[in-house]
Amino acid sequence: MPGPLAGWRAWGPVGASAITAVMLLFATALVELLEGPVGVPTASATYLLAVIGSAALFGTPAGIGASVAAFLLYDFLFVEPRYTFTVADPGEWLNLILLLVVGIAVGQLAAALRSRAETAIAREREARALFGVSRALATRVSTMRVLDAVADVLLREAHLDRVWIGMARGGAAERVVADTGSGVAPRTPPASYYTLRRMPGETPAEWVRVHTPTVTRAASPASVPYRVILEANAQTLGSIWAMTREGGGPPAAAETRLLAAAADQLGQAFEQDRLAEEARNAEVALRSDELKSALLESVSHDLRTPLATIRAAAGTIMDRHLDPSREDVVASAEAIDREADHLNRVVTNLLDLSRIEGGALRPEIEPTELSDVVQPVLERLRAHLAKRVVDVELPDTLPLVLVDPVYLDQIIANLVENACKYVPEGQEIRIRAIPLTELVRLTVEDSGPGVPDESLSHLFEKFYRVSGSRRSRPGTGIGLTVVRGLTEAMGGRVTARPSELGGLAVDVDMQRAADEDETAHEADAAIGGAR
Amino acid sequence: MSARRPSVLLVEDDDPTRTELARNLRLNGYDVMEAAMVETALQHWEQRRPDLIVLDLGLPDGDGMSVLFAARKEATTPVVILSARGEERAKVVALNRGADDYLTKPVGTAELNARLRAVLRRAAGPAADAQGIVRNGSVELDPMAHVVRVAGRVVDLTPREYQILALLLSHPGHLVTRGRILRAVWGEAYQGDDHLVHVHVSKLRQKLGEADASGDTRGLIVTEPGVGYRVREARPES
Repeated sequence: MPGPLAGWRAWGPVGASAITAVMLLFATALVELLEGPVGVPTASATYLLAVIGSAALFGTPAGIGASVAAFLLYDFLFVEPRYTFTVADPGEWLNLILLLVVGIAVGQLAAALRSRAETAIAREREARALFGVSRALATRVSTMRVLDAVADVLLREAHLDRVWIGMARGGAAERVVADTGSGVAPRTPPASYYTLRRMPGETPAEWVRVHTPTVTRAASPASVPYRVILEANAQTLGSIWAMTREGGGPPAAAETRLLAAAADQLGQAFEQDRLAEEARNAEVALRSDELKSALLESVSHDLRTPLATIRAAAGTIMDRHLDPSREDVVASAEAIDREADHLNRVVTNLLDLSRIEGGALRPEIEPTELSDVVQPVLERLRAHLAKRVVDVELPDTLPLVLVDPVYLDQIIANLVENACKYVPEGQEIRIRAIPLTELVRLTVEDSGPGVPDESLSHLFEKFYRVSGSRRSRPGTGIGLTVVRGLTEAMGGRVTARPSELGGLAVDVDMQRAADEDETAHEADAAIGGAR
Repeated sequence: MSARRPSVLLVEDDDPTRTELARNLRLNGYDVMEAAMVETALQHWEQRRPDLIVLDLGLPDGDGMSVLFAARKEATTPVVILSARGEERAKVVALNRGADDYLTKPVGTAELNARLRAVLRRAAGPAADAQGIVRNGSVELDPMAHVVRVAGRVVDLTPREYQILALLLSHPGHLVTRGRILRAVWGEAYQGDDHLVHVHVSKLRQKLGEADASGDTRGLIVTEPGVGYRVREARPES
């Protein structure tokens, strides 16, 4: 129903008159046909059809016009005496008045219906347009990125000629960030424009002309743009600008409502963006604070512990009132030396950690024999290992590995030192290596208390500490992170699992050098058989 | 003469640090027992009743504070915390809960020894003079040298006898019950073994008496029948 109605409306008064005339002629012909040859006495009711049709299609005035015309036609053509406007029979008056009343009533009804239908259409369009804006905003990653889509929706649904959105940050001049038009973005603000003044309560907003005093007026602006200010939190963020179609006048009430609603939604969206970003920043700051304090705690323990030993040992040597034996002096001096070396490793780990995090590791890979690295590390850590038993199993058939020997040294030292922390003196730490198809797996395992399964996957995370176990000691949490970082920088992989010895086993997989395939395959077969 | 060295229980989990501190303390005249964990520290405390405890807080099997609590439950043995935790809060908590001093690692050995001497001196109670030496008549107890003299002559006391005398001398004029002596010198497990105290006090009186020709020590330790002992008000040797 609304479709044809809306269509008919476009015919204008001339078209409406013409169509009404056609309908009246058609009715006249029908009356002639029915009254004459067929002999129906009340065929005049046929004119009702034409009156109803005209009133329904073109409204009350057309209905009244049609009923008067029908009255006259009928009077002239069919009421005795014919071909005069005289009405002899008073009964015919009733016919004519009925025609007139029906014409007016139907016209009114049709007009009300049409106006309601038109309102419904307008509302639907407005709702669709708002939905388009909402959808663009709801599915946004960032409000800035959907501004083009919003401008497009407004252009289409508010029947505008051009829509652009300007954003101003911190009182700066507006910058056009979305524009449906092509070519140079319009100058913002223009010399003169209309701005939407919002009214409190239900009062509709109204357009107010504004002149920008600082901008020299263009000679003759083709048309004046309309501006709706984007606000959030009582702060102006920017504006939606619109140019109406040529000769269209200001946007109609519905279009104005749409522009205002879109501006409100954009304002809220920007506010949400801002709050979300604030929350993110706070989260980032918190995380980085946590990391910093974890690093400080860790570093302070790792540095202070060897320093405590060094100061105690130095105190023994330098105190003039003491009379230490030669053995005491040597032992204290050795402790100083050993702990200085340990401190050096802590510092190296810290530097490596920052290189790992900054992606600045540049390993110098070369074919390396594992025992060439393992033995010197153990030699250096001999004092640290004290009475712990280190069982090294490196088969002679082991292929060379592709590693940076300096990194591998640090990896093994960290793993052995870590094991030392949890293995009581007299107990075992095992280092062994087996060749796999394309890799060599080096395993460092201990007979300490071990790590709960759920903690294994987190072991290499920075500052991670196993909770609720005897492994939980302050100061750990960098060594294994560095192990992983260095291993991965060399194209290897490191994993943790429970050891057969009862403690923790860490597997470091390294690329094996290309040659010596034969030996490796033999070894592989041997391993496979053993399993 | 067998001036016993003051005994220190050194609780520290880091092996190299403990080894070096122990070496230094031994050279400074202490009898050092070492513990790397709460468990061994408590064993030492129960069995040997050190004169002094140096305590690290972060231990692999628990918080060092539990050693402090165990000691405080039974005796006033000085406890010096030696920890890497340097925040004010940690210090306040430890001192509030009965620690006598708090040192942050790394500490110089000169400072450590000075602090230990200071708490030992204070441990002798208000009866002690500036050097920590307690005098009562002709009897003189030096907690630093861990020696007792009567009229200038060193008296050979067993560790328990020494501890009983130190406890009594630090509370001149006050009643010290047998139960308290048992707790402080032997430990909670010996509660009820009053005869132990009786035997040791008799022996102590005898040794003091033998050392003193003038008979001044005869009235030093007064028995409060069925309850405990009291040392007469301190009066300087005339």
